[in-house]
Amino acid sequence: MKDYKTEVWVTAVCFALVALLGGFLSLFFVLGQDFFFVETDADFRETGHHILYLAREYVMGFPIHYFLLIMFSWIGVAIIGLIWTLVMDRLEDKQRF
Amino acid sequence: MEGFFFLGILFTLLVLIISVGIGLWSRGLTRTVGDYFVTGRRIGAVNNGLALFGLAISMTTFIGLSALIIEGLYLAIASYTAFTAAFIGMLILAAPYLRRHKSYTSMAFIGDRYYSRNLRIFSVVIMLVVCFLYLGANIKGIGIVFEYLLGFPELIGIILGGIIVTLYVVLGGMYGVTFTQAFQGVLVIFCLIIPVSIVLRELGADAWAFPPLGYGELVPFMKEEVPEYFWPMVVHPGFYLSLFLGTFFGIIGLPHFVMRYFTVRDAKEARWSTLLCVLLVGLVNTTVYATGFAAVYSIQLAGGEERLAGASRLFLETDLDHMVFILTEILAGEGWLAVAIAGAMAAALSTVAGLLIIMGAGLVHDLYGSINPHVDDQQKMKISFWVMLGAGILVTLLSIRPPEFILEAIMWAFGIASASLGVPIVLGIWWKRTTREGAAAGMIVGFALTFISWLLVEMFNVAPTELPLPFIASYLYGPMGWLKLMAFAVPLSFIVTVVVSWFTSEPPEGVKRTVDEMHGWPDYEESRYKGWGLPVTIVVLSLAIIYFMTTFYGVFSRIG
Repeated sequence: MKDYKTEVWVTAVCFALVALLGGFLSLFFVLGQDFFFVETDADFRETGHHILYLAREYVMGFPIHYFLLIMFSWIGVAIIGLIWTLVMDRLEDKQRF
Repeated sequence: MEGFFFLGILFTLLVLIISVGIGLWSRGLTRTVGDYFVTGRRIGAVNNGLALFGLAISMTTFIGLSALIIEGLYLAIASYTAFTAAFIGMLILAAPYLRRHKSYTSMAFIGDRYYSRNLRIFSVVIMLVVCFLYLGANIKGIGIVFEYLLGFPELIGIILGGIIVTLYVVLGGMYGVTFTQAFQGVLVIFCLIIPVSIVLRELGADAWAFPPLGYGELVPFMKEEVPEYFWPMVVHPGFYLSLFLGTFFGIIGLPHFVMRYFTVRDAKEARWSTLLCVLLVGLVNTTVYATGFAAVYSIQLAGGEERLAGASRLFLETDLDHMVFILTEILAGEGWLAVAIAGAMAAALSTVAGLLIIMGAGLVHDLYGSINPHVDDQQKMKISFWVMLGAGILVTLLSIRPPEFILEAIMWAFGIASASLGVPIVLGIWWKRTTREGAAAGMIVGFALTFISWLLVEMFNVAPTELPLPFIASYLYGPMGWLKLMAFAVPLSFIVTVVVSWFTSEPPEGVKRTVDEMHGWPDYEESRYKGWGLPVTIVVLSLAIIYFMTTFYGVFSRIG
């Protein structure tokens, strides 16, 4: 029963993390847009955009939310997948066929 | 490009000849129907990982995504990041468990798990719908490549490409498909990354040698010219939930991806092959984000940059699906264009091959096998040959009227697969109490919602907000608004499946034992995977998602 619960809970947590980091991370960028963006109408006259959203922070030249999006959906979820795989390999070796 | 492009033809011919050669060689490995459809389950993690990667990277990656990024900017990138992460979702929820089930196809799994020949046949119908959508988009891409190479109409390329891929799939079966996918996958990496590096270098990026992160220096210009490139807030945040549901459950529901897991030696190899695949898929997809960025950047730059001056008219007038080739030709030269075209062809062939084999397996093993269960394996092998040949020809003919945007057709395929096949597969693995009646109800609701919507939107040009879906349609506004349908269809499919299962008789004990076996248990325990926690959580989350999709419009105004 302990191994069964380990399997279920590790799977649930890992899936939730993968969903959050890789599936719908952008949802949090929208909900938390004040954290990631600064609004300005300083360039309104030049660009014609009603509100200009500029990123507050940059990583390697990229807006931080964009960097997190492309990295979490690749390396981030791969790491979580690796952890899950190692746990399942161990469970499988321990008591199964 | 006008007239014959000799170097491009040469490189592309090489890809085609090697692919057919692998298919011919693989004939020698195929003895039984098990070999023909699932390689006798002898494939190791590395080969399967490369093959899965080759299958995942299709023509849509090479040209469709760049076109969609030009139109959809951040939204297009977000859709592909969800697709990349979805492989890990498939790993965690489905891959090793399906491998232990010992089916040949996901349709066979549904038939066995839900003890229903009718559901197996219904799954085959759904499979054919999603495969035709997926195939049509990719074969269009092949037509584009031939048009670019030879200056011939797309039609010639569609017919030629369709014939060639049908040939090596029919000859080599799953062995041929696996090894060609692995070869084509490796080829795609080089044929994409190197030309894109050169394009970025020519545009002035210092870190061009690593395209996934090589264009940071070009961002300030983009912020000035196209600031909305990086804006996620142009849609209601529920849009991203739709992407998650459509991709994560869609990839599980798409039969050609799942079929790869029936070919590996065991569950462990299934797990590790997926990890290898996601590392490579992520590398390629992040490179394509760079390509899309370069395309938008170049369009903005064209007016003021001498090298691109002559191209500005081309950029504005051309079919967006050609942009990658145009950009490569102008900035990297014809030599690298030839390489990129060969890579695009390899990408298309690998995906088309995977789709053809699942169609053949579905029609012969699942449909014909259900109607005539006493047919022997030798007879199945003979029939498979002709059925796959017929399927290849039929798909080629149907692809003559291809979708306008390659990637949109693929996204519809994901959406239909998620709500109608992904849901019953996931619940079939993780909840013993899912019954035949529950699965049937969920599949019907999911398929009806998504397939009918696709028909109306794409075939009859009905606006998504005018679909005959009470309550739901009004929320499908905005850029790619129809995608938000997935945030209704998938949860509704889950809710219906769970609720109907609750009110119907439990599956037979033999089926419940299968669930324990899929999870690798040597013994059987009734209480495993039967608790109320999972179904209650699913229903609550599904209702929360639907509620979220229909609220907060005072906070997130209707943009677009």
